[in-house]
Amino acid sequence: MWLHLNFNFSFNSSFVRKSLQRLPLFVVGLALFASFNTVSASQNGLGPEITIPESSGESCVLPSEQMRREHPDILKHDRIQTLREGLRAKADGSTLDGSLKQCVNCHAVKDESNKFVRIDNDQHFCVSCHKYAAVSIDCFQCHRDIPEGSGDFHALTNHKNINYSNVVPGTYNLTIKDMANIAPEVNSDDN
Amino acid sequence: MTINIDNKNNDETTTDSASKEMESSRRNFIFGSVAAAGLTVAPGIMLYQTANARSLSDFSLKEGASSKVRWGMLVDTTKEVDWNKCVDACNKEHGLGNETNSRDEQKTQYIRVVEVKNKGTGYSMSLPVMCQHCESAPCVDVCPTGASMKRADGIVLVDRHRCIGCRYCMMACPYKARSFVHEVLTDQTENTPRGKGCVESCNMCVNRIDNGQEPACVEASDGAIIFGDLNDSESSISKILAKHGGKQIRADLKLNPGVFYQGI
Repeated sequence: MWLHLNFNFSFNSSFVRKSLQRLPLFVVGLALFASFNTVSASQNGLGPEITIPESSGESCVLPSEQMRREHPDILKHDRIQTLREGLRAKADGSTLDGSLKQCVNCHAVKDESNKFVRIDNDQHFCVSCHKYAAVSIDCFQCHRDIPEGSGDFHALTNHKNINYSNVVPGTYNLTIKDMANIAPEVNSDDN
Repeated sequence: MTINIDNKNNDETTTDSASKEMESSRRNFIFGSVAAAGLTVAPGIMLYQTANARSLSDFSLKEGASSKVRWGMLVDTTKEVDWNKCVDACNKEHGLGNETNSRDEQKTQYIRVVEVKNKGTGYSMSLPVMCQHCESAPCVDVCPTGASMKRADGIVLVDRHRCIGCRYCMMACPYKARSFVHEVLTDQTENTPRGKGCVESCNMCVNRIDNGQEPACVEASDGAIIFGDLNDSESSISKILAKHGGKQIRADLKLNPGVFYQGI
């Protein structure tokens, strides 16, 4: 590839030199972009920095590659089912794939002071990518952008004096009804 | 009573404590319902819910809203109840009252407490007026985008994904039940998304109904508001309506509201 470039552009030696100088940086940048999971990939002047925050769940409703491409469709499909048809759970009683509440609960990001970041912060899960892609979303003009209560992933407890670092998110398959019965009161003042 | 817990960790203690907690809270809920089922309609008249009546929890989440059901409410205004308690419960449930720049008359209210006074006799009373969940809802008729909608089970609500904020439905509603959000909101509750540029109104706490709970105002009303299925003749609300009747506000408009009143 190097020789090939050299051959093609040999009539302009300064251009070739510059290209060759930049090429490694370009390749590194491409590699970082391809490995999308990289946390805080510094790209030294090749565009804005992307930070893909780690989520708290074990796995998402679909593989990451599929989620990145298809999440708008899933959200749109399930919002019609939920709001207009009153379907709030799948046949097995688990949460719908496109439950924005569940998305927020798993993907909420905390800042240095251990507080959830809001939608106006670049660290917010949705913002981190959407800002890079220059896609403006208006979901959170109405929807809540951080979980309710103090760091609750699933409403297994009454949210009082619980150390959530011991709770592994995503391992409990409760229905929405169960969650409502277990923890009917969620104190949202802690945020 | 089936408890659907699939704990992949096989952590027995967690499952046990979780199910115990759940059982106790369900028991509370059931006893709460039984207590609410013995209702005084007028002084001296007690009504009891029969065991074979369908309850909220019989309706599976998996099926979604069904037209076999029509949810309705019966408000007993003869009871000495502070309706503001219901309003507070409503505000808390839906996270209302977080406007900072709106005037009082612009702020969202799902329930209004209306004072009525007969000038001749001097008799005055108050009643809570919320969305009346009409069978032929004018707000649904006039909505240009299909945002104002009636669910299969009779609940009238706004699909904010489609609402363009034209406020035609506010003009059409004879009960003045709808409000418009004039400013950017933050800190919404996770069950009631609401934001600038959308019309909103009482949705009979759809999120609670779909979870097998009663609406927030019903819970806070000390039995003065009864919630139930109007299509089911065995439900307590239907029995009371059949025996003692109930009035719809502006019944002359023939909209057949799902909210009934006694003592007006």
